[in-house]
Amino acid sequence: MSRPLIPYQPLSRTGRVLWCMALALFSALLMLFWSPAHADDSEALKAESPYFAVNSSEPGTDRLPLKSTSVDVKIAGVIADVTVTQHYRNEGQRPIEARYVFPGSTQAAVYAMKVTLGERVLTARIKEKEAARIEYQAAKREGKTSALLEQRRPNVFEMKVANILPGDDVAVELRYTELLRPTDAQYAFVFPTVVGPRYNSPAAAADNGGAVGGAYLKQGVASNASFALRVSLDTPLVVKEVASPSHEVMVDGLGSTHAAVSLKPTDKPANNRDFTLNYRLAGDRIESGLVLYRGEGEGDENFFLAMVEPPKAVAPRQINPRDYIFVVDISGSMHGYPLDTAKVLLRNLIGSLRPSDTFNVMLFSGSSRMLSPASVPATRANIDQAIRTIHEMGGGGSTEIVPALKRVAALPKAEEVSRSVIFVTDGYVSVEAEVFRLIRQNLNQFNVFSFGIGTSVNRHLIEGMARAGQGEAFIVTKPEQAAAQAERLRRIIEAPVLTQVKASFEGLDTYDVEPLQLPDVLGGRPVVVMGKWRGAWEGRFVIEGRAADGPYRQVLTAAPNGRGPSALRQLWARQRIAALSDQEALEGGSTQKAQITELGLTYSLLTQYTSFIAVDQRVRNPNPAQTPQVDQPSPLPEGVSDQAIGAEVPSTPEPGALAALLVVLGVVVAGVWPSRRRRKE
Amino acid sequence: MATAIALHPLARWQTRFETVSPLAWLGLHAAALWPHWRWAGARLADGSDDPLGVAALVALLVWVVRREPLLRGAPRQGWVYAAAALTALATLALFHLPPLLGAVLAVLSLATALRSVMPSGQPWLPVAGLAVLALPVVSSLQFYAGYPLRVVTAEISTWVLQLAGLAAERSGTTMIVQGRQVIVDAPCSGVQMVWMAYFCACVVAAFSGLRDRAMLARLPAVGALVLVGNVLRNSVLVALEAQQSQVSDAVHQGVGLVVLVAVCAGVVGVMRGGRDAQD
Repeated sequence: MSRPLIPYQPLSRTGRVLWCMALALFSALLMLFWSPAHADDSEALKAESPYFAVNSSEPGTDRLPLKSTSVDVKIAGVIADVTVTQHYRNEGQRPIEARYVFPGSTQAAVYAMKVTLGERVLTARIKEKEAARIEYQAAKREGKTSALLEQRRPNVFEMKVANILPGDDVAVELRYTELLRPTDAQYAFVFPTVVGPRYNSPAAAADNGGAVGGAYLKQGVASNASFALRVSLDTPLVVKEVASPSHEVMVDGLGSTHAAVSLKPTDKPANNRDFTLNYRLAGDRIESGLVLYRGEGEGDENFFLAMVEPPKAVAPRQINPRDYIFVVDISGSMHGYPLDTAKVLLRNLIGSLRPSDTFNVMLFSGSSRMLSPASVPATRANIDQAIRTIHEMGGGGSTEIVPALKRVAALPKAEEVSRSVIFVTDGYVSVEAEVFRLIRQNLNQFNVFSFGIGTSVNRHLIEGMARAGQGEAFIVTKPEQAAAQAERLRRIIEAPVLTQVKASFEGLDTYDVEPLQLPDVLGGRPVVVMGKWRGAWEGRFVIEGRAADGPYRQVLTAAPNGRGPSALRQLWARQRIAALSDQEALEGGSTQKAQITELGLTYSLLTQYTSFIAVDQRVRNPNPAQTPQVDQPSPLPEGVSDQAIGAEVPSTPEPGALAALLVVLGVVVAGVWPSRRRRKE
Repeated sequence: MATAIALHPLARWQTRFETVSPLAWLGLHAAALWPHWRWAGARLADGSDDPLGVAALVALLVWVVRREPLLRGAPRQGWVYAAAALTALATLALFHLPPLLGAVLAVLSLATALRSVMPSGQPWLPVAGLAVLALPVVSSLQFYAGYPLRVVTAEISTWVLQLAGLAAERSGTTMIVQGRQVIVDAPCSGVQMVWMAYFCACVVAAFSGLRDRAMLARLPAVGALVLVGNVLRNSVLVALEAQQSQVSDAVHQGVGLVVLVAVCAGVVGVMRGGRDAQD
């Protein structure tokens, strides 16, 4: 069988050379002038990785090691009062200034700071942030020992101590209070010990005025500082179960209304991961109640706190079609254990979907990629395919969460479909405000549930995303917790237990109530309301709503007359500041600055606009201009590798699509054109 | 009598229908499948897929426009029935199948309709191939074929590097070479090279008039070229990554483009294999 012959004239030798030259020139021009379709992180800064930075000509002699950290926690009812004391010692030869970044709880209301220098005690005052900075700089220049405590983010604080003389032992005491909100009748107290390194996008770095997080010790290097933590629990009901999933603990007084917890001595470092303490009360009940506090002086404000246990979840009824978008962070800081945990989590989450549900998965780091162009039904085949792909993904690159979120928001959605977006990340980014704003702007599109994975996740981001998205935050610190948390999410999203929730008061003149509107109550979460009151110490708190089995009403009466816990002042103010900060993030700029500053100054609280300042009036350093600054390094969170602070895992990506296409078109034309030319001839 | 038939209104309409250009009929056929094109257009616009399909669409249109004078006025019935059946299936797919599968049925329907008016001896397979490649298929290929390609690439690259005397091992799609970790992640899978190579094959076959059977016989060689090319690209880059602290983006691009040129040149050679010698 003969083929149809196509006329063909081979190129001459000169022609071939010219052709090769043209192709080479074409490729060279492409390389020079064409900018490849770059991922969002191509111009991004790596996470700050200064390690132990000593700005000194004698780095070996200017040292300010943290010697010890002692944490004393007193939990009364649902309020925790925490005192953190840290000891440093200048072991160098010269006076130094120290900068130290450390974490706090996202719910913490920091209300006091005290610096002890030998026998001298400096009690810090709250001041407007800029005024405090000016005072600190002035004291530093004058050679006075001074300390400045600022809030970098709601759960990341930075402390500077100036003019620490050789041999000085400095003790910094910090006090904060926080409200413990139970979930599924389980209470959890968390003390973060280390700030995870945060990835800064170029825009965020400019906004933040620098990276968040200070110096870090290398992976696997433990801090030499000792760490002690004690918790005393006083509750109206008997304490039933006390356990720490993060540390080995010793518990005394279990089964009574007073329990004491302390860390078990061990060789393993304890200060490279969050300390978590879980406990339950008798009867597996949430401690419902109305707590009042009366101001001490004439004209002082009175505060209340009401906490109501919601009804138990019921069997899900007929519900609308549901769509789930799983957005998984595969950036460098997730490499290793966090990503392994994410895989376990996703296997459980996706595996528990119903066939009538649809889902999709987005993997993001510097750029994002959907595993499927559109959501697919949660059939066994699709689930298996997704899990196989997720199982093999590796971590690398930056954490460009904002483009990923924008892409999710742009995904088309049918009106009748209820969409939930589940973020899985360690939250090592510093663009919280923009993330919250994006979520709030798209609230009509989806609910947001956020899973923080890691031993020291950015809880501010994780919890803020859930709050902005009217969802729930989950923290998974170990792979074995993944299944339980996935199950918890499944129960929560199956059906809300209480809708159209309204709170009212009888016999109590209340005002400045937080929150102004109560959201739907999802499974296992109590309703918490705080505010101020006037008049007599009496009254009832009524919560009403619609449960799955009909109208719901619960009434709480005030505890007997007395003074009540003063921490209610700070807790209320902290709640109000959080609401104003959310509002400010939504509006942009510093629209709520005046109100937040006033609250900070009135209630002596550390905020983004107020700082604590302590100044010793004695001039101790005669030559302050020569004082070098020392960054006190933190250990890396357990399980986080050096990749999180700049070491990216290389890969071998294909060339950019447009360049590749142009090259292929060149080859194609070269392949087809000679035969056509010969045919004509 | 003939005049009477010609003057009958029905006959006049029939004459008008018969004189309508085949391209116009194809246009009407395409319009009937508009939900699929709307979906493909939306996918193209939402940024979820690289717009490579535009190149295949342009190549296809150029090919059709150039062949337009040769198209038959009277379509072949068998192919028309096949096109109608595929159109029905594509329409049903709107309700029961994922959009991409429906769109594949739709382009095949249109390609079959084109086949019905093409003169004998003209290649159809490369035209159908270009029509499928014009769809936004890269993301889906990445989803379904990306991981297996990554594993195969990583595994063969490991052998290549071991033969070259480097300490290399694979774990999933991660390679440890000379103690340094390198990930063969989604952008390294070679899916883009797969698209490029088959695009190249279809265009060369279509414009050089390669018969369908001959093209079909040569497609496995195209696949083998892609695999070899991607393994070569990956091995070179992994070896560089393992030996240097940081390999610049320009080197990544350069190596990728050079290998791509070689693979596509190989595809052109395969698709034209034997023909030039006979010329």
